[in-house]
Amino acid sequence: MAIATPPTPAAAERMERLEQIWESRPGILGWLTTTDHKRIGLLYFWTTLALFGAGGAEALLIRTQLAQPNQHVVSPQTFDELFSMHGITMIFFFIIPMTTGAFGNYLLPLLLGARDMAFPRMNALSYWIFLASAIFIYTSLFIGKAPNAGWFNYVPLASKQFNPGHNIDFYCLGIIFNSIASTLTAGQFIVTIFKSRAPGMSLNRMPLFCFAMLAASFGLLFALPALSADTTFLFLDRNVGTHFFDASHGGSALLWQHLFWIFGHPEVYILIVPAFGIATSIIPAFTQRRLVAFPLVAVAELLVVFVGFGVWAHHMYAVGMTTISMIFFAAATAMVVIPSTIQVFAWCMSFITGFARFKTPLLFIAGFIFMFVTGGLTGIMFVAIPFDQQVTDTYFIVAHFHYIIFGAAVFPIFGGMYYWFPKVTGKLYFERPGQISFWIIFVGTNLLFFPMHIVGLLGMTRRVSTYPSGLGWTAYNLAETIGGFVTLAGILLLLGNLFVSYFRGPPAGPDPWHGPTLEWTTSSPPPEYDFAVIPRVTSAYANWDPVDREADRLNLADGLLMLEHGHEQPTVTPVDGRLAEIAQMPHESPWPPVLALALALVFTMLLIGLYGVAGIMGLVCLLALAGWHSQEPPE
Amino acid sequence: MSGYSVPQSQVGRPTAWWGMTILIASEATLFGTFIGTYYYLRFKTPTWPPGGIPEPKLVVPLVMLAVLVSTTVPMRLAATAARTGRLAATRLLIAVALVVQSGYFAYEVHDFSDQLHRFDITRNAYSSIYYTLLGADHAHVLLGVLFNLWLLGKLARGFTRYRIHAVQAIAWYWLAVNVLTIAVIGTLLSARA
Repeated sequence: MAIATPPTPAAAERMERLEQIWESRPGILGWLTTTDHKRIGLLYFWTTLALFGAGGAEALLIRTQLAQPNQHVVSPQTFDELFSMHGITMIFFFIIPMTTGAFGNYLLPLLLGARDMAFPRMNALSYWIFLASAIFIYTSLFIGKAPNAGWFNYVPLASKQFNPGHNIDFYCLGIIFNSIASTLTAGQFIVTIFKSRAPGMSLNRMPLFCFAMLAASFGLLFALPALSADTTFLFLDRNVGTHFFDASHGGSALLWQHLFWIFGHPEVYILIVPAFGIATSIIPAFTQRRLVAFPLVAVAELLVVFVGFGVWAHHMYAVGMTTISMIFFAAATAMVVIPSTIQVFAWCMSFITGFARFKTPLLFIAGFIFMFVTGGLTGIMFVAIPFDQQVTDTYFIVAHFHYIIFGAAVFPIFGGMYYWFPKVTGKLYFERPGQISFWIIFVGTNLLFFPMHIVGLLGMTRRVSTYPSGLGWTAYNLAETIGGFVTLAGILLLLGNLFVSYFRGPPAGPDPWHGPTLEWTTSSPPPEYDFAVIPRVTSAYANWDPVDREADRLNLADGLLMLEHGHEQPTVTPVDGRLAEIAQMPHESPWPPVLALALALVFTMLLIGLYGVAGIMGLVCLLALAGWHSQEPPE
Repeated sequence: MSGYSVPQSQVGRPTAWWGMTILIASEATLFGTFIGTYYYLRFKTPTWPPGGIPEPKLVVPLVMLAVLVSTTVPMRLAATAARTGRLAATRLLIAVALVVQSGYFAYEVHDFSDQLHRFDITRNAYSSIYYTLLGADHAHVLLGVLFNLWLLGKLARGFTRYRIHAVQAIAWYWLAVNVLTIAVIGTLLSARA
């Protein structure tokens, strides 16, 4: 199947030359200066996994506090910080960086038949900024000043008058800092997808995973500025004395909500669209058929994000908007059903018309479809405005978005971890414990989140730190808490399985699943140059085209298309995928971590109010950029 | 020898152009949000500008806008000169643009602090968005000035493909900043209507 061993001595020599050109420096310095998309993907993976642990610990503390009525496991103030940090962590510091930063970075060039991203140094910069922003925001928790007004941080609760500490300043600056990393990743993916595909891969031959990443990247690029503007206004209101959100001086508290949700609703789709991409990779591999309705699914992935920009005010039915605007947003919200349902039907039909092998990754995708449809059904209910007004700010909402975010975004992440584990490590995981881990997580999450619908309808509001007994909520809350710990057990089994498999697992070989896309044509783990020969592509399921793979093997034997004279990477025309030029890619740079450090100092100085020093640090950032560009590619 | 027949002339835009396009898309969205905020606040306030703040001046901002926008011409010409390999012309055109842009920036900084003395940013919501919008625009002009300074420094040591792409990307940046400035000044002057 795959090109793992060189067929001729001449080819072996060329591969050795590629090895020398692309190999990273050894040791810690190699990791600090790396621009290899696989290494950056792994750095993202380990960092976001640690943050997932932090966000999960916060969730379990919340559930422990709520397990019984009238408990005092944590104080109400700590409880506020816990649920705020839980939301912020899971959304900004786990799901987005896990799906785009880890999965996207590692896999996108491999699926596109490329050797690296379009801007490798910028890719490294994105990781170091992400890491710095995570340290920045978690510092607040350790000094007891964590954000405490929820992840959507409504004013006036978050205004200086009612929240005088540094808690919200950490929020504003940390979120802006983090958005820089996400914007860099988004821009990176868009340009890589349009410019760095293997020649011959026109857009209609691009795998659906890449369409999903493209949709998520467009979403991030156009949604994040609204959040940055919003948090900038709040920072100015709190620290300079402006009046954006101050109704007594002509400002508006609702302005915060509008800007927040103009970002916040597209954000929901940004979270789940990469998960769709993972699903559309796993389903063909384990049904051994091309996905049903490929063009419709590709368009639906993009459409779901596009429509997502027009629905924000359905988060705001309780604030007193005019009926006509509420009806507009309800109608737009109903429209989201169409692209979502197209995808659900395409996935299900692929199961039915293919030969489904329910290995662990596919089990997670089946579970994802179940959770997505369940969460989608409660989502549809919110189109009925009076119903939404009744359940606003109750646990019914919490149940809905956890079905979507845990069920529809995190399940595919778990599935993807199993699916690509053999590619990343070269080892197979153990199948039986894998399947058991799925069932434990599936039962655990449903036990955790389903009763929330009921307590929500019974009137339990979100974000209460405790509740009295005798309201009929106790048993449900206890069940939820048990479900939380069951889920934890399942996740630990999953991680344990992968950990043991890394050391004890049988060798996987390049292509254990007979997977559909290009990453399965190269060795496991992939070499630093990804592909010895730039692959030939004539369909979106390149690994299932034996004629093209045979052509690659012949090219390798003849030493063609190996580009072994430098860090070379073909770039193509954006739509047709015709060869444009052979570009010289940068390799290893100390500047990304330096720039990220300087930027971290800018934000720290802004936090402690030394604006002059922050300005000087800004100049240092510009100098670092000049240093960055002092290194030019060879002519 | 590589096995590919690489096209002789440049096919499509260089990745530098694409990178700049992403930056511009992101910044334009940010300004769109600011301008949206301006009108959101305006439409819920009966008198605009509120709180006895005078209407913005008309003639001087428009003249200054015309001065800034006129630098689009030398920047575009510089991009063309760079593509056709005329080093001296590229340097001269960028230097001319830089002088005008720096003059514009210096005047605007002076004017900005002048206005702050008349009504400061903490007066009300109008002053908040007024200075935020204007300040954000000036910051983008300043960044462009620094880009041009850096370009001249780079071009002092001749052309490389990398630098030619940089000239093209920065000319594209200036076009976008000039359009953004038209939108910003237009928004602020709409308070007179």
